[in-house]
Amino acid sequence: MILLKLISWQYVRKHLLRTALTVAGIVIGVAVFVGMHTANQSVLFAFNQTINQIAGATQIQITAGEPGFDEEILEKVQGVPGVRVAVPVIEATAATNLPGQGNLLVLGVDMTGDRSLRSYDLEGADDDVIDDPLIFLAQPDSLIVTRRFAEANNLRINSSIPMDTMAGRVRFTVRGIMKDSGLASAFGGNLAIMDIYAAQKMFGRGRKFDRVDVGVQEAESVPEVQARIEKALGEGFAVEPPSSRGQQFENTAQIYTLASAITSLFALFIGMFIIYNTFAIAVTQRRGEIGILRALGATRGQIRTLFLGESAVLGLLGSAAGVLAGIGIARVMAGYIGNLLGEVYGIAQRAGELSLNPRLLGFAMLIGALTSVAAALLPARTAAATDPVKALHKGGAELITERENRMRRLAALISITGAILCLWFSQHRILFYAGYMLAVIAALLMTPTFSLWISKLFRPFLKAFRPVEGTLAADSLIQAPRRTSGTVAALMLSLALVVSLSGLARASYGSITQWMNIALNPDLFVSTSESITARSFVFPAEIGDDLKKLDGIDVVQMVRSVRVLVPSRKGGGSVPVMLVGADIDRIAERARLPVIAGDANTMYQVAGAGNGVVVSDNFALLHGYRLGDGIEIPSPSGVLRLPVTGIVIDYSDQQGSILMSRRLFSEKWNDSSVNVFRIYLKPGASDTAVRQAILDRFGSERRLFVFTNRELRDYVLKLTDQWFGLTYVQIAVAVLVAILGIVNSLTVSITDRRRELGVIQAVGGLRKQIRHTIWMEAAAIGVLGLILGLALGAAQLYYTLEIAERDLAGLRLNYEYPVGMALALLPVILSAAFLAALGPAESAVRGSLVEALEYE
Amino acid sequence: MSRMFGFLALAAAALAQDPRAIIQEVQKRSVSKSQRYQGTLEVSDARKKVATKQWIFERLGSFGESKSLLRFTEPPEVKGIALLIHNHPERASDQWMWRPAIERDQRIALQDRSTRFFGTDFSYEDLEERDVDQFDYKLLDQDTIDGAAAWKLESKPRKASQYTHSHLWIRKDNYTVLKVESFNKKGLVRRIVYSDYEKVANIWTARKTEVHDVTRDSRTTMRVDKLEYNVPLGEDNFTLQALRRKS
Repeated sequence: MILLKLISWQYVRKHLLRTALTVAGIVIGVAVFVGMHTANQSVLFAFNQTINQIAGATQIQITAGEPGFDEEILEKVQGVPGVRVAVPVIEATAATNLPGQGNLLVLGVDMTGDRSLRSYDLEGADDDVIDDPLIFLAQPDSLIVTRRFAEANNLRINSSIPMDTMAGRVRFTVRGIMKDSGLASAFGGNLAIMDIYAAQKMFGRGRKFDRVDVGVQEAESVPEVQARIEKALGEGFAVEPPSSRGQQFENTAQIYTLASAITSLFALFIGMFIIYNTFAIAVTQRRGEIGILRALGATRGQIRTLFLGESAVLGLLGSAAGVLAGIGIARVMAGYIGNLLGEVYGIAQRAGELSLNPRLLGFAMLIGALTSVAAALLPARTAAATDPVKALHKGGAELITERENRMRRLAALISITGAILCLWFSQHRILFYAGYMLAVIAALLMTPTFSLWISKLFRPFLKAFRPVEGTLAADSLIQAPRRTSGTVAALMLSLALVVSLSGLARASYGSITQWMNIALNPDLFVSTSESITARSFVFPAEIGDDLKKLDGIDVVQMVRSVRVLVPSRKGGGSVPVMLVGADIDRIAERARLPVIAGDANTMYQVAGAGNGVVVSDNFALLHGYRLGDGIEIPSPSGVLRLPVTGIVIDYSDQQGSILMSRRLFSEKWNDSSVNVFRIYLKPGASDTAVRQAILDRFGSERRLFVFTNRELRDYVLKLTDQWFGLTYVQIAVAVLVAILGIVNSLTVSITDRRRELGVIQAVGGLRKQIRHTIWMEAAAIGVLGLILGLALGAAQLYYTLEIAERDLAGLRLNYEYPVGMALALLPVILSAAFLAALGPAESAVRGSLVEALEYE
Repeated sequence: MSRMFGFLALAAAALAQDPRAIIQEVQKRSVSKSQRYQGTLEVSDARKKVATKQWIFERLGSFGESKSLLRFTEPPEVKGIALLIHNHPERASDQWMWRPAIERDQRIALQDRSTRFFGTDFSYEDLEERDVDQFDYKLLDQDTIDGAAAWKLESKPRKASQYTHSHLWIRKDNYTVLKVESFNKKGLVRRIVYSDYEKVANIWTARKTEVHDVTRDSRTTMRVDKLEYNVPLGEDNFTLQALRRKS
């Protein structure tokens, strides 16, 4: 502690800027970690909170996937011994069209019995405040809203709210206002209650319920009643406590969680190199100080503890700042992620407030401090091992000895051999990731050697460009590889990340465009929703017949998409995937998806006849299914066991899709409704004219949106953009960290060479020459990092595509190096290097010459 | 008419001190082939806010196996809402509600019978007609109500009910039910007072029924007008198709 105060604190005071830059690495890493995780947690928490608040006293929930089930199921459940109360529920999200209000979560309930499970804490302390219960039931436009929503929109009893329904935009009447507690605080208060039978009509659900909520008699055990219900209903129903829905949400959102975890860890990893670099240089610079301390009797342990203590304190400071910055990031990200999950997965949630988890914040602080300490371990060991006599001699410390070089190269060779061996056995997940790690380690170990080689290669060019400045800059890099290599390593990692992420994005866009060209080739798409992924509303199948009668329409294909839970053969448990009920054989005539496995000529016929299913490649990869495997698909008529007759490339859903005969779907789910009509026009027919004809024919009587082929493609690309929004954030973080690394390295370099630069000035060197030297050195570091980063990026892209295929999205993406991005990085990094060099260069030329010559 | 509300629905001959015989006699004296009336409901909540509604009530048969249909006529917002009840001697009744605005019938689940009937102080269970055999009876006391001598009986349901037991006051001279108090585990829940008795078609019928929900301290008063007995009604007036008729 005394050493920290007397030695470290003095050092920090003298090098405040450098200290700040060092800490910045940890700040960014921790901020991204805290920001992403808190945002994810807030969204998850908001979803769970909505579930709990809506569940009320519900002990068991019965569902059968998104399409719901027939009303008769309710009576079966009510008849099960031990069931105290069983009530039906429909959930739908509907646009209110009120300024700034977004979607309203509409809960359709049977007001007759629902109060046994949910407490409708209504204004006025009397349940008659559903102004008149009989009128509430008699008028299907009746709505109960929350006080928060009412106040935000200046609504009172008998005010009207416009809301999108199957019959178009309908004005609903507020007939009750709930107090802001319990149920009313679900979905951030954007919640409305309506009668379930009215909701069925308004949302086109036919005679179906989404789920049944159950309360158990006092003397009964919940698991026993649960088992009885399961027995009474048979297979095909999920009979679970309400908390299980949170788990499903987590499964659905896990891709996103994993991606954000990788970003933050990468940021921390890069931050670790910045710290390593700073400490490595600090140890070198403070050799004299260390020598004196050792000569005065300080033990090796004390020296080690001194440096580790410094790094821990810096780590904690950086982590604390990172936590604060992370909370700011989380505020922005929570809304973004919430919207994304709503758009991509159609999941209703609303992250109103941040959910700050003290354990997560504590963990982030710990990670930040540990990263800092881990980064300082090697420099601290070097410091402790320093011989006091040698330490008091100046010079030579920044050279890497030939022995050290040999050791590094040997370790790199072992690592790269290990990485190659792991590739052979990469079907084992752990070996694949071990191989990835070994490849990165090998690259890091080789960084000083490569930096030295490339610097030597640069020297003649730099010298030719500017004889004095170029030589000085190149020599600075060659003579102090320890100082440079840390920065180059950080830059290399950052740029490799940029290359791999942009390669991933490019490959994804390429594959999605290719898929869109084949799968989305109809001229028009008729949907119930502006967002084609939302499935709150459905069409009756009869609309299809009416559409066929319109002039200009050649073929109408009906598609019903619902999310169902199927067993995963890879990770165990059930996973939510998209089940698509369609006239498969007819669709295949017009849009034949690329086949991965199976006979293209027969797979559609077999599946079309209801004797199998065709699955998407990402479904097969993510959940471990192969051709011929049986899939168990729960339906209200029991579990369907169908073989996989074909595997095709289909990007309809991130979790994977199962293509099934529409006839089989209608029969087993007793649901003939349609989400989307795919329409092919007759030759010569105009898509805009037919679209207008469809709107004229149906627009006034029902909710309906018609997209042209171009509009739908644009919409899909917009969703893809949203998904890659996170990737762009990752790229920005990587570039920011890279710039930070250069600034840090140059600042250190200037401070380190103050005497040298002072001497140059003293013997007649011009300020301009000093500036140019530093600029060229910065540019050289940038180019070094760029060369190594682009090279490592090539390997990293391979691993990223593999991870995307295996663990993230099940996408088989083509390896294509992002040449455009690589070229774009050159001016970006050179500009960043130049900007980063401005401050240090000015500091070098404006400092006092006397002080500089006295330095050290 | 009072039969419509639970304990009014009783018949058969009686021996003076045998509680079951008393109830049988009550039931016997109010037997009719059918019934029709126009009811006016006034619901007054704890804040004395009063809502008025009207309905037409029709019933075919008596007690255990009767069928009845109740259809709201006023105010216009609730017109057409209807409730069909099929009573059974051996089990709880079947009840369906019809909602014309969404053209839907809806079965009222057994679990929901203890809930309030359309915001009135009657519960759905109170609307059932129950046969004498569905209860056990005990004579508690002799009492006087508004100057009329009455028996005070206790009835305990043999089947599932929201009530643990009820107290009934039966006028000795004409075997009409004057008052019913129903209890659950926590105590008194509901008090129903029958008054303005009038003899129509030789049946003593209460023209006014007042229900007091003790827990909520709200009251519902029902008045009976245009009362007729033994009107020509057929089975087809009491089917789900009949319920779905628009008026």
